[in-house]
Amino acid sequence: MPADFDFEFRSLFSQPKERPEEAGGGAPSTLKARLYSALVRSQQESGPLASLDATVASGHEICVFEKLVQIAPVAERLKSPFFCGVCHARVLAEKLDNPPIFWPHCPYVEFKKS
Amino acid sequence: MIVIDRSTRAFLPAGELGRNDDYEGKVHSELMELRVQVSMGSEASPADEQRLVAEVLAKDRKATADFVGRCSDWVYSFVRYRLTPRTEMVEDLTQETLLAAWQSLPNFRGDGNLRSWVLGIARHKVEEHYRRSIREMESPEPGSAAELAETPMLEQQLDSAMRQERVEATLALLPEAYGLALLWRYRDGKSAREMAELTGKTEKAIERLLARARENFRRRWNDAR
Repeated sequence: MPADFDFEFRSLFSQPKERPEEAGGGAPSTLKARLYSALVRSQQESGPLASLDATVASGHEICVFEKLVQIAPVAERLKSPFFCGVCHARVLAEKLDNPPIFWPHCPYVEFKKS
Repeated sequence: MIVIDRSTRAFLPAGELGRNDDYEGKVHSELMELRVQVSMGSEASPADEQRLVAEVLAKDRKATADFVGRCSDWVYSFVRYRLTPRTEMVEDLTQETLLAAWQSLPNFRGDGNLRSWVLGIARHKVEEHYRRSIREMESPEPGSAAELAETPMLEQQLDSAMRQERVEATLALLPEAYGLALLWRYRDGKSAREMAELTGKTEKAIERLLARARENFRRRWNDAR
């Protein structure tokens, strides 16, 4: 008899569900923003981040604030901190689903679009 | 895309149909998972993924943003699919998975694609959550399973979408361990023995738990009629 119950429940539970992406599957932008901030902070714990020059050399775009830092006449080591940590874009993106941030090449703006 | 429904029974070897329920459940579960992975598609080439991983390991902030953007979508969808209707833990498990993936990134060899590798970690996290919830549940009194009058009475006349909706609504009303036990057994195809090994309980205790869970599910299903 238990096998009958098993069959009954299996057929009830095994209905094909909508595909994840059909269900509006992507992660919320606030979650992405918090995860990104947490990961980069963790990366910093074991030493400096890659320099902005190296990031640009790898073919990535940087935001306007990072650009200002990149061209500033300061020592290289001063160009490696996580500048987003003090940017209001990060604060807004971690708290709001559709934050009022719009400038290009900001990761938090990209999370909002996805 | 691979479409799977009850016709997956046709994948069973001759003579196994209707005889080996655990085997059938596993085949169904694995094909469902394959369907999720196939349907989500992979856009990046292996070389792109290797490059992304190398840049994340070099602490490139933009590559890290790209990694988070891609992986969190895969993981969130996967975890939510596995936990529905109990979605309150989805964000926590997504976060745990991403952090674990990042910590293990030096072990990514690139012989599979990044999505499969990350979803392997997510699968492990989801099972850990199932195990923890079921392990923390007190075992029902011995003998109680036999006393439960399990009568097959679940209404099968609903169309697929309505039935799915009702299954999820009913699951959401159950105590968490009951809901997860049913999902693990009947959606993921785990046998009672495997569940016992993974939770450190006896097979009998798992069978009693499942009997309780089924009875509870039935009662609430019928109450909603």
